[in-house]
Amino acid sequence: MSASSEAIGTGIGAWFGHIADSLGGMGIGYRRSLRKSRTRTVILSIIIVLGLIYPVLHQQFLAEFSRNVFPLPLPDDTAMTFMMIFAIMAVGLNIVVGFAGLLDLGYVAFYAIGAYVAAFLASPHWAGLGINLTFLGNVGPGAQGVHLPFWLVIIVAVIVVATFGALLGAPTLRLRGDYLAIVTLGFGEIVPLVFKNLSSLTLSLTLGPIVIAVNNVNLTGGVQGINPIDPPFLPFFNILFDSRSGPLAVYLGIFLLAIAVVVARNLQFSRIGRSWMAIREDETAAQMMGVNTVRSKLLAFALGASLAGVAGSFQASYLGATTSDFFEFSTSILVLIMVILGGVGNVWGVIVGAIALTYIDKTFLPYLGQRVQDSPIPLPNPAQYNFLVYGIILLVMMRFRPQGFLPDRQREAELSVIGLADAEVAMGMPIDVDNVSIAPPGQDETGPGARGPETIDEARDL
Amino acid sequence: MDQLIQSLIIGLANGLIFALVALGYTLVYGIIELINFAHGDVFMIGSLIAFALMAPKDVGGFAVFPVTSGTPVLVMIVGILLTLAVTMALTAGLNAGIERVAYRPLRHAPKLAPLISAIGMSFVLVNVGVIFAGATQRTVEAVFPTNNLLEAFGIRSVSVTTSQLFVGVVTVPLLFALSWFVSRTKQGKAMRATAQDPDAAGLMGVDINRTIAITFLIGGALAGAAGVVEILYNNVMVYNMGFRFGLIAFTAAVLGGIGNMRGAVFGALILGEVTSLSDRYVSANWTQAIVFGVLVVILVFKPTGLLGQQLADRA
Repeated sequence: MSASSEAIGTGIGAWFGHIADSLGGMGIGYRRSLRKSRTRTVILSIIIVLGLIYPVLHQQFLAEFSRNVFPLPLPDDTAMTFMMIFAIMAVGLNIVVGFAGLLDLGYVAFYAIGAYVAAFLASPHWAGLGINLTFLGNVGPGAQGVHLPFWLVIIVAVIVVATFGALLGAPTLRLRGDYLAIVTLGFGEIVPLVFKNLSSLTLSLTLGPIVIAVNNVNLTGGVQGINPIDPPFLPFFNILFDSRSGPLAVYLGIFLLAIAVVVARNLQFSRIGRSWMAIREDETAAQMMGVNTVRSKLLAFALGASLAGVAGSFQASYLGATTSDFFEFSTSILVLIMVILGGVGNVWGVIVGAIALTYIDKTFLPYLGQRVQDSPIPLPNPAQYNFLVYGIILLVMMRFRPQGFLPDRQREAELSVIGLADAEVAMGMPIDVDNVSIAPPGQDETGPGARGPETIDEARDL
Repeated sequence: MDQLIQSLIIGLANGLIFALVALGYTLVYGIIELINFAHGDVFMIGSLIAFALMAPKDVGGFAVFPVTSGTPVLVMIVGILLTLAVTMALTAGLNAGIERVAYRPLRHAPKLAPLISAIGMSFVLVNVGVIFAGATQRTVEAVFPTNNLLEAFGIRSVSVTTSQLFVGVVTVPLLFALSWFVSRTKQGKAMRATAQDPDAAGLMGVDINRTIAITFLIGGALAGAAGVVEILYNNVMVYNMGFRFGLIAFTAAVLGGIGNMRGAVFGALILGEVTSLSDRYVSANWTQAIVFGVLVVILVFKPTGLLGQQLADRA
């Protein structure tokens, strides 16, 4: 982002001003980085431009070439849209895991809530209860059920999911490290189960004069889920972004991802971003320096979750359907692998990780499977081994490169003590002895699992 | 009332199987403070090995020690014992191998690195399960007679089946054997010392690496035994059973106070009853959510568990 965009005020207006300032500064920044390292900047620019025109290129030319002349593992529109959906999620999870250092294994819960918000607000689902409401929706007059426009749905999803993020984050505030991870995992399992099981709700509740009686109400569609959900729609231009609209949906995904990146980058270098970094490095020290850890951690959960809400409601609208089976533990881990693979803490890294892994999952393994099936020798189907691939990625990354392929410099230093020393020696810097601690087994001093601060909480309670 | 007692009996059998797996979590967490995420999947692999050894060829097994409902009693007992021995040996080796490959290199890394590595290992094992057992449920026939053992005492309203008795016959001696091993043998003493303070134990001449490897061996053997018992008791195995079962067992370990062996057994018995009562009186659909709810509540409000941790400050 641009250098001149520092502290122009507060509030939404200032934020938009900040974005305008950032966009205006892009040209200057580009010229500056071009001066600094010409080849790298030019190559990156070419890659980005190619990436931006690729969806159209694929639709016009490459798909046909791949179909008729020579089969290539090229991602199609659906795969590209999912790349964008997972990239948005990876950017969001990176706020929680990368910036604030809170390992969240139940991130899929927020993805599910986002998807169900879209399903509740833009589908005929509520017609069964006799609730009909259409407001600027892209449906004909007199349609059954609730139909709100996609843009409103996304905003509502962000608010709802951020609230849930803070609500589910609140009980975990006292926990650290692996216990925090397991509690978030528990929430990640409970939320989809709730969506799955609330298909025939019967209850009666008497609160003084108010009597709530519900008899066999289908709240969430159960195992079948909810469909059809209204596709994303751009009013005035009458453009639909559904699974039949080709590259258009990909561009909507790129647009949403761009917003997510702007939000994440701005957060990273803001006051709250610095407090997250402080908490990640040493929660006790951060607390003593006056960082409000409760507020910062809740904000991390809420803001990280809200991006999963965007991804979830976009996915549900794009596919036009949602079921609870879509939201499994493995999805949480898939997003975590994207973050780890790309580089914990680095926004660009996690986007690359998300695109790479979605490519493997949605395009490369199915392509290999197709090749294998066509080949005369009977071989096992590689698409069957996706979990093996993910597992091995996690094992190898943790063993040899825990900081990811495009690491955040700060985070890299934290994750590998020796790596820090190496990096500084390589850069010709003196080794900072303070950062190189020799931790006894199982008791690291830099990670979020450090022990000790319990006593400070207790002291304050006294 | 009879229904309640019947549920409690089913819960006791569930709880005993949970206890075998929960001990693996608690032993490992006690000694290296790692949630061995792959432990539930070691249990699944144990069930898979037992399936391969015992099931007849027509349902997909290899019938090395064929055990079916038609097998004579003596042959059946020998077959089950041999299956138990082979499965426990294999899963013990598997668990120790996992430690060697995935956890030992990361022993000095930040705490979350081995946890993520464990999740990776869990994924690998799940995929191994898919490759060998397929993506669908594998069912074997019930080998034990289904008559009510309590009829001999004139009780008809409540039933205890041979398979439930079998669960007790296998698990209870294992629990006592483990208790004896940890509290009476020299190696057990080394384990307790390492759990208390690895550095000090090392200085006192305890081979830390060997002690940790033995802990994983024991945990793996218990998980393998649980896998054998599970497939003989519930007659099904599926590649993803390890995740659900493992989380229940981990919840049991936390409930009793992680690192505390008696606590793990106690927690497992409670959770066995909770799952069985929830199946009976709420709905099987909600059982899993209830178990996770218990886990969250315990971790948030009493992370030391019901019986208290035997470790200093691990939460």
